[in-house]
Amino acid sequence: MKKIAFLLVVLLLPLALHAAKSEVYVFNWSEYLDPAVLKTFEKETGIRVKYSTYESNEAMFAKLKIIRKNGYDVVFPSTYFVERMRKLNLLKPLDRSLLTNLKNLDPKLMNKPYDPGNAYSIPYLWGSSAIGVNAKYVNPATVTSFNDLWNPKYKGKLLLMDDVRDVFAMSLRSLGYSGNDTNPEHIKAAYLKLLKLKPGVKVFNSDSPKQPFLNNEVTIGQIWGGEIYQAARENPNLVYIYPKEGATFWADNMAIPASARNAKNAHAFINFMLRPDIAKRNCEYVGYATPNLAAQALLDPKTRGSRAVYPDAKDFAKGEFQADVGSAILIYEKYWEMLKTR
Amino acid sequence: MRRALSYGYLVFVYLFLYVPIVVLVVYSFNDTKFSTNWQGFTLSWYGKLLTDGPLMEAFANSLIVAVTSSTIATVLGTLAAFAIYRYRFIGRKISFSFIYVSMMSPDIVMGISLLMFFILVGLSIGATTLLLAHITFCLPFVVVTVYARVSGFDSHIIDSAKDLGATELGMFRHVVMPMLMPAIIAGWLLSFTLSLDDVVVSFFTTGPSFEVLPLKIYSMVRLGIKPEINALSAVMFLVSLVTVTMAHLMIAKENK
Amino acid sequence: MRFRNVAVVLTLVWITLFVAVPYLLVVLFSFLTPNPAGTVTYTFTLESYRQIFSPVFLTVCKSSFTLALGTSALTLLVAYPFAFFLARIPENIRRTLILLMIIPFWTSSLIRTYALIILLKANGIINSFLLSAGWIDEPLGILYTQTAVFIGLVYTLLPFMILPLYASIQKLDMRLIEASRDLGARGWHIFFHIVLPLTMPGIIAGSTMVFLPALGLFYIPDLLGGARSMLMGNFIKDQFLTTGNWPLGSAASVLLTILMFLMLGWYFAVSRRANQGDMKELA
Repeated sequence: MKKIAFLLVVLLLPLALHAAKSEVYVFNWSEYLDPAVLKTFEKETGIRVKYSTYESNEAMFAKLKIIRKNGYDVVFPSTYFVERMRKLNLLKPLDRSLLTNLKNLDPKLMNKPYDPGNAYSIPYLWGSSAIGVNAKYVNPATVTSFNDLWNPKYKGKLLLMDDVRDVFAMSLRSLGYSGNDTNPEHIKAAYLKLLKLKPGVKVFNSDSPKQPFLNNEVTIGQIWGGEIYQAARENPNLVYIYPKEGATFWADNMAIPASARNAKNAHAFINFMLRPDIAKRNCEYVGYATPNLAAQALLDPKTRGSRAVYPDAKDFAKGEFQADVGSAILIYEKYWEMLKTR
Repeated sequence: MRRALSYGYLVFVYLFLYVPIVVLVVYSFNDTKFSTNWQGFTLSWYGKLLTDGPLMEAFANSLIVAVTSSTIATVLGTLAAFAIYRYRFIGRKISFSFIYVSMMSPDIVMGISLLMFFILVGLSIGATTLLLAHITFCLPFVVVTVYARVSGFDSHIIDSAKDLGATELGMFRHVVMPMLMPAIIAGWLLSFTLSLDDVVVSFFTTGPSFEVLPLKIYSMVRLGIKPEINALSAVMFLVSLVTVTMAHLMIAKENK
Repeated sequence: MRFRNVAVVLTLVWITLFVAVPYLLVVLFSFLTPNPAGTVTYTFTLESYRQIFSPVFLTVCKSSFTLALGTSALTLLVAYPFAFFLARIPENIRRTLILLMIIPFWTSSLIRTYALIILLKANGIINSFLLSAGWIDEPLGILYTQTAVFIGLVYTLLPFMILPLYASIQKLDMRLIEASRDLGARGWHIFFHIVLPLTMPGIIAGSTMVFLPALGLFYIPDLLGGARSMLMGNFIKDQFLTTGNWPLGSAASVLLTILMFLMLGWYFAVSRRANQGDMKELA
């Protein structure tokens, strides 16, 4: 009898210890934070991080729609996905008292329409999408507007993103409309204009748009600033251009799903990421811009001075953040399918 | 002459299969975090591989799931193929139809429908649901492969075994299975290959505490796939190569 | 427990629970109302099916079927001689060669596709070699063309054709071939009238295992082809992920299944007439 009891204790002890150990389940892109940061977090707080990955906002959104309990603790939705998720009650409201490092953030990136008052999300990294050119083949001075992409001399050398919102936003902006327009007439106009552009498009790529540039397959196209900044390290001819219509801004945010098991640990994790030294490490590792002012002060001047990554005040004023378009997405998708099947 | 032609063709196909692998291995020494252009030679990715705990954990998870699901799928699939071939039962034709349906289902449909089913039944989403999902999508490939082989059987052999007094089980074990062995092995190899590389179904059917390798890799595309992944693939490839070669040499020695 | 009962019950239970039920969920969804904000609204409607019959969907179907057919044909062409010659190799080396054939596919398909990109791109290995050898003046534009897509698809699906073909060819009795040669039959005649019919189960199995998955594949065509067209896989993925229109995605899936069965039914009817025996029990 004693032997059985002893055996039970020996077998169950690891289980008990494991259960006692604090955990936080993070759901993010791969490589989207410095892995060393996770180790530092574990050492300082004793909370183990279990890191799972997704490859797109859409996939993450679909999974979170279905799993309503025992899910992930921290998730990183992009701008308008925060809006969609909070409207569906998929996110937990944040407890400000646990986020003491919030003060480090840049106010001009807070309180955006996709999350008024940042009740559900905290910006983590942000950036813009505009135009990239290979200066060896395209004179950057001649490219000042999205409309320049329609120039026939770029036929067969053009890259567009493979995302319905990004591509249509670019076309809408070129017509003077907002990239978040829900007017079916405007969307149709954007589609007709894109139809003229399509024969000249060599590749649609939203996974890693810098690759076709680096592979010399394209010389001009839509791309994110951070991508150009990184690619320029390998090929200094790659240049980022803010068109006169303005760039589209995006932000990836930290949020806590409603199905989180360890909400307190989740808050601790988010607060940890808001520390200036940690934010700096992440920002340098990933290559995109940090919204953390205190961290920006710690960056090396060359990175901080890169206009591709950190737009100046004028660039910022002209641009607009991506927003949710509600049921208009069905109209967008309809024209996207037509665009792709012509 | 005919010999030379056949060997030449085999070599040609093997080249086609292996050249990209050689490229993959070479680029594991590429000194850059994100590019498909050669930037210089470095061994650092192999070093990083050894210390990358989460990556190795995901890799181990993938291996465990692949071996387990392939084996179970092979057992189930062989039994199913044989049952459909030999026995008349209610739902026989529908079962085979569903095998085809399953094989044709786009991953996203299978992933989402399985996830919804698991939630409906109240299962906790994690390693178990992942395993169930993998067995399910491997199954049709085993069934079709084994069925193709069993349908070419000389039924007289089976009948004479039964005439000599064998039970169904005995006949299956001692007559049918040996004859099916190439197809069974082929089915296992196909399942293992499928399972190791599955992304979409795995994404939807695994839980927060059980990450598998393909998810990690596909998620890296956004920022650029580090050559560390090439290093991992190269290591796995080399280990498999060495194992196969050694097994071959050992068996050859035994046969002498 | 009787063996027969165990085998049958296991088969029925697994297929019912994990294949049939989830699939019936999909069929159910196709008759419901979309709820882009969530999953579905439980209101019956035929709207999804009405929407499906559009020029866009027809084009998507055609693109996918053409791609899948082309891929199957090409893969069969490459794999059949390979499996045939492999089956002739002495047994001890043969098993090892089979393993050597499949080991490359235990690396991530994404990395392998990237390796193909490195080979095919404008400043890639093949172009650099041809340029430096002086055989071409300008880089060959292979990447982002249909050729690159087929190379990628055949490369990815080759084992799914080779293995079932091999399993079927391997039991071919060489004496049949020798006997017919003794009787005076010539090469092509032997192939078309003896070898081909006897290996037909393997051909059907392999073609099935390449064609059906190829219908839903889109990631590799997008990577290597430039994503300028929409395939069935893209279309269905967009409905489930981008628009949240699950009923439409489900309807597309159901229609794809129906189309597949029509195709297979037509195929079996034709082969029955041509007297290819095995499958006719089930057709």
